[in-house]
Amino acid sequence: MIDCHIQLNLGKFKLDQTFSSEHPVVGLFGASGSGKTSILHAIAGLNTPVNGWIKINHQTWFDAENKINLNVQQRHVGLVFQDAQLFPHMTVMQNLLFGYKRIPPESRRFDPDYIIELLKLNHLLSRMPTKLSGGEKQRVALGRALLYSPNLLLLDEPLSALDAAHKQEILPFFQTVQHETHIPMLYVSHDMDEIKQLTEAVWLL
Amino acid sequence: MVLLNFKNKCMQYAMLCCGLALAAQVHAEQAITVYAAASLTNAIADVDAMFEQQKRVRVKTSYAGSSTLAKQIEAGAPADVFISADEQWMNYLQNKKLIVPNKRVNLLGNRLVLISPKAKPVKIKMDKSFDPSTAFQGKLCTGDTKSVPVGKYGKQALTALGWWSKLEPRLVETEDVRAALNFVARGECQLGIVYATDAAISKDVTVVGVFPINTHTPIVYPLALVKNNPDALAFYQFAQSKQAHAVFKKYGFTVLSAAK
Amino acid sequence: MMFSLSAEEIEVLKLSCQVAATCLAFSLIPALAVGWVLARKEFFGKSLFETFIFLPLVLPPVVPGYLLLQVFGGNGILGKYLEPFGLNFAFNWKGAVLASAVMGFPLLVQSIRLAIELVDQRLEMAAKTLGASSLGTFFYVTLPLASSGILVGAILCFCRSLGEFGATITFVGNIAGETRTLPLAMYSLMQQPDTEQAVWRLIILSLTVAFLALWFAQWFHRYQKNKRGH
Repeated sequence: MIDCHIQLNLGKFKLDQTFSSEHPVVGLFGASGSGKTSILHAIAGLNTPVNGWIKINHQTWFDAENKINLNVQQRHVGLVFQDAQLFPHMTVMQNLLFGYKRIPPESRRFDPDYIIELLKLNHLLSRMPTKLSGGEKQRVALGRALLYSPNLLLLDEPLSALDAAHKQEILPFFQTVQHETHIPMLYVSHDMDEIKQLTEAVWLL
Repeated sequence: MVLLNFKNKCMQYAMLCCGLALAAQVHAEQAITVYAAASLTNAIADVDAMFEQQKRVRVKTSYAGSSTLAKQIEAGAPADVFISADEQWMNYLQNKKLIVPNKRVNLLGNRLVLISPKAKPVKIKMDKSFDPSTAFQGKLCTGDTKSVPVGKYGKQALTALGWWSKLEPRLVETEDVRAALNFVARGECQLGIVYATDAAISKDVTVVGVFPINTHTPIVYPLALVKNNPDALAFYQFAQSKQAHAVFKKYGFTVLSAAK
Repeated sequence: MMFSLSAEEIEVLKLSCQVAATCLAFSLIPALAVGWVLARKEFFGKSLFETFIFLPLVLPPVVPGYLLLQVFGGNGILGKYLEPFGLNFAFNWKGAVLASAVMGFPLLVQSIRLAIELVDQRLEMAAKTLGASSLGTFFYVTLPLASSGILVGAILCFCRSLGEFGATITFVGNIAGETRTLPLAMYSLMQQPDTEQAVWRLIILSLTVAFLALWFAQWFHRYQKNKRGH
């Protein structure tokens, strides 16, 4: 699924990581400040490594030597941020459809009703993001990313802003998404227990 | 130790301030303020210099349209002496009892002229039969015809020649005569109405016509004492002296007051 | 006492609003571009560029007025080439618009820049990861979230134009019906004998317009906040 070698300049230190796995769900584990988010952003296309390559599902997204560097939109990833990053001026429904509207109808893998049902968002559709709890925000963020029919789901510590009870409430949704949609996932966390609930394949920083 | 130093510094600073204030006071008492019509800019500057040299009193002068100056004096501006470019504004102040009684005299006279940028002179015949609107393109610059003396004289003259209705839509009215002069000098305006003395000052304009004396009320510059103090009175008298007259004549003004 | 306006006052008010609205209309898009660049981009010479943009804020208005005259006046460096194309700024309302635009531009840019800086760049990143182009991100995310600040800037620019005096009178003079906006009309009236009442009427008019503009800005800000569910 993922095969990469990433060299990044992160101010104080140089990151140099190599990883490869065919497993559809991969955890990325490291302490705070170890560069997990930077790696995720490099894979997403939001920053450019100094050197190396990034191959996802046997497609080359980045190759420093051969001067290949697909931009964010071309990579077609679904990124779920640490604090959801829902658009505050749009309703939940408008947020959900933001990416959905930007792909041609034939590329749309999921019907909005299906995802809304899957993530139990039915009663939240006309609410504004400021009126949602942390857990609800993350579910909407996940739904928004899924409706974009991404090639790869990148989850940047999606549960770190929630307390233990809410974490246990939301984690099953990620498992459901994995089972139902089979979209490859890269799950970043500093909590090994969380990762272990999703996969055995772990990229250790 | 630190506190003592600080107190010392405060004392020194306070004394310095007092000293400066005192000096300023003393200095202030030896200066007078003259409000003069804009057309007098160069002439009065020379007269000021002569006065300062001889009497050792500093002269601060404010030049603007007579309307502006009169309104400022009405609002309490600290003028000691006022020289207006027309009698109406002096009457305005006199009626409001803002000038010293019996200390008013007609000082100077002038002529009203039509000017053009030197690079592009306009051909004008100064009589009723001539249609000026065909003679030039663009705008005619003069002082505000409702308030500034040169504008008021100008409107009278244009009306007397039957030109007012044709030229009114092309007017650019400025706050004083020198602003109008500058617009013509810079070529922004094709035609301007200013005093003969202003035209003489600028090397970028040329006189294309002189308004006959009977087309407007006589141009009279009244001089008046606004504040009755010895230095102001000295200036009031100096402005009527032979020396001052010589300066005015040099710039092209006619002298109306008798030499003192 | 019924406050109804005389024909001259209406003409002055109409001209002032016309100049201010035209100034805003032509300044908005360039200001959005410049504000966005200053908020989001770093480049060589940025400090110099910023200083140049904000210069009219600190210069005495007569200075930009005089420079405009030198450049765009009928005999100006550029002015004399623009005339055959019908672009004449000297002594007419278009020059007044230009003077207002120069003086109001930094206010507009500063408000827009601050408003854009306050938009979380991570939201812009999120938009890009969801397929939005740079322009799409700007229109659907950045602009709506910055709209309050942009409106404040627009109102400041509009009001600055209503109050523009120094640059206008130096560049295009004080011509009734063409460049005699509210402040210039007041100035002219003040030079004439016995015009107290007329001046006060114009002062009240100015205060009313400014008050309405600022009140509208406040209302819009509250409306936005409520819409977002705060």
